Formats: sequence, C-alpha cells, structure tokens
Amino acid sequence: MRWITALLIWLLAWPALTQVQGVMLDEPLDLPPFAFTNTDLDEGRTLIMFGFLSCPDICPFTLGNLEAIVTETGMRVRPDNVPNVVVVSVGPERDAAFVSEYAKFFHPDFTSFTGTRDQIYALIEATDSFYRLMKPDHTGYYEVQHYSSVSVIAPDGTLRAKLQPPFDPAQIAEFLARLQISYRKELAQ
Amino acid sequence: MRLLPVLAMIIAPAAAMAEGVKIEDAMVPLAPPGMMAHAAYRKLTNAGDATCQLIGVKAEGYKTAHLHQSANAGGVATISVVDQIEIAPGQSVAFEHGGLHIMLMHPVDVAKESDIVNLTLLFADGEALSTPAKVMHLHHDES
Repeated sequence: MRWITALLIWLLAWPALTQVQGVMLDEPLDLPPFAFTNTDLDEGRTLIMFGFLSCPDICPFTLGNLEAIVTETGMRVRPDNVPNVVVVSVGPERDAAFVSEYAKFFHPDFTSFTGTRDQIYALIEATDSFYRLMKPDHTGYYEVQHYSSVSVIAPDGTLRAKLQPPFDPAQIAEFLARLQISYRKELAQ
Repeated sequence: MRLLPVLAMIIAPAAAMAEGVKIEDAMVPLAPPGMMAHAAYRKLTNAGDATCQLIGVKAEGYKTAHLHQSANAGGVATISVVDQIEIAPGQSVAFEHGGLHIMLMHPVDVAKESDIVNLTLLFADGEALSTPAKVMHLHHDES
C-alpha cells in the first residue's frame, strides 16, 4: 500500500516538478564591480530584477512573488543565506527621486536603486539582460520593455543562475536551496 | 434602462450588470510610491445574447486609463494598448496579472488601501458600465 501512495504522490507532483523555474549556469560568471549602489553585491546572495517604477503589471507582480520566494527560502536555509532582493530601475531620469522607496513597499529588506545609463548598461550586459525604452506619449510617459528573468548572484559576486516566470514561490525556494548546497560543496572542495 | 445598473448593484453589490455584461472581482492593487501608472483587474462575462465590444475605460481620479495587455515574449516583458475587446455571448474575459489589465495613469491623489476607484467601461454601442474597484494589498496567493 505504501508504495502505491508514494507513486500517487510522485505522479501528482510530477507536472509541477517538470516546470522550469530556474536555470543554473554551467560555470559561474564574474561580474564587474558596480560602484553606483550602497548594496554590495559581494555580501550574501542577491537576486537582481530589472524594472521601472511605473511598471503597471509585471514588476509589482514579480516583486509580490519575490516576497513570497524570500519567505519560502527562509524556511529552507540559514537566516544569513536568505537572498537579498535588489531592483534596478532602467529609467533613472524618471525614477531617481522615488527609487529608494520602491522595493521597500514590497518587503522592508528589499532595496532598489538606479544609476547612470552606462552603469545600468554594464549590469544589463553582465547579466545577459535586456531593456528598451519606448517612445514617450504626449504626456511624456513612456513604456519600458525589459527582461523578465531574475539573476541570482552568489556571495562571491558571480552570476550563478536565472529565475524565470511564473515564479512559483515554493519551487523557486527549492531551486535556491539546491543552488546553495552546490555552492557550499564547491567551497568545500 | 439607466436605472438597471443601479438596481442591480443594490441587489448584488459585488457584481454589476448592464446590457447583459457582468463585472466581478474588480480590484486595484495598492500601488508602490513614485509610480505614474498602475493597474486594475477584474473579470467580465457577457451574459447577454449579443456580442459586446469593449472599446475603452475611464477611471475616476486618474487623468487617463487604457485597456492594456502585458506579454512575456522570449523572456522580455512587453506591454501594448488594446483598442477593442470582443466578448461573445456566454464568454468571459479575465483581466489578470501578466495579461489584460486596465492601466491607470497619472493619479490625481495617491490611492490608499480600501479606497474605491470608480471604473467606467465604454462599449462600442455607446453603453457605459460603471463598477467600483477596491484598492487592496496584492498577495501572491491571490494571483
């Protein structure tokens, strides 16, 4: 009887397990130093998301999910291994005044910042990301197309993985916990 | 006929009816600071006999509002304006995260939790349908 139950659980869980939640890089990728932030990417684990403050749908939804992901991950790893969430606004001209308040709205520990176009571009390049500012309307409002994946940075400042929508909190937390185990193994070698 | 939506809202406050169109679950997630635009969501069902064409939206307290569609194409988040949404009889259209939504732009005041944003949906036949949308905290498990 027991193996039938186990098989049933496995079959029920299978569709969820097959959905890709994150992709681990084969080799860690070094990132250039970023001087435009108080957030030190070399401290702890960092999840980086690109967006803009007036993003009506995708960014608030992703941040809501990241809040849940951080909570779920907190149940699986040591407190000092819970990732920091960093939002980088790709619209500095419009967002600079409010950017420090933005991420805090979703979680008190989240941080958000912006920089010069060159600095943003360097980080976009280094994380193999993308953004494009669209043509402004008559009110000056412009839309932004941007990369929707979240980059995972290890404590050594290297890019390790990408998280992808739909950002299921429990599955991403599992992915991040596994990522930490392989990182520790690597350190122990 | 003008009285019908009002009457329906008194009878069933959660759902508004006009010309056979039913609106459910209208909500506006509480917006973060510094934004010029945020979104409203709800579900529309055409319970009437004729196809209805949604062509626009107005929102009280905002300079402009649009029908919008988000998409995630090849890992890139994009947004586009939708000119018209056809709803066949018996069909429902959900405005939800990552898809159709009402884009609320240039708020006059910052909306607080539990505030009501009155949305007016405009149809091709000239009908207008109003619905209150409650401002609430967005929780991931309500997606």
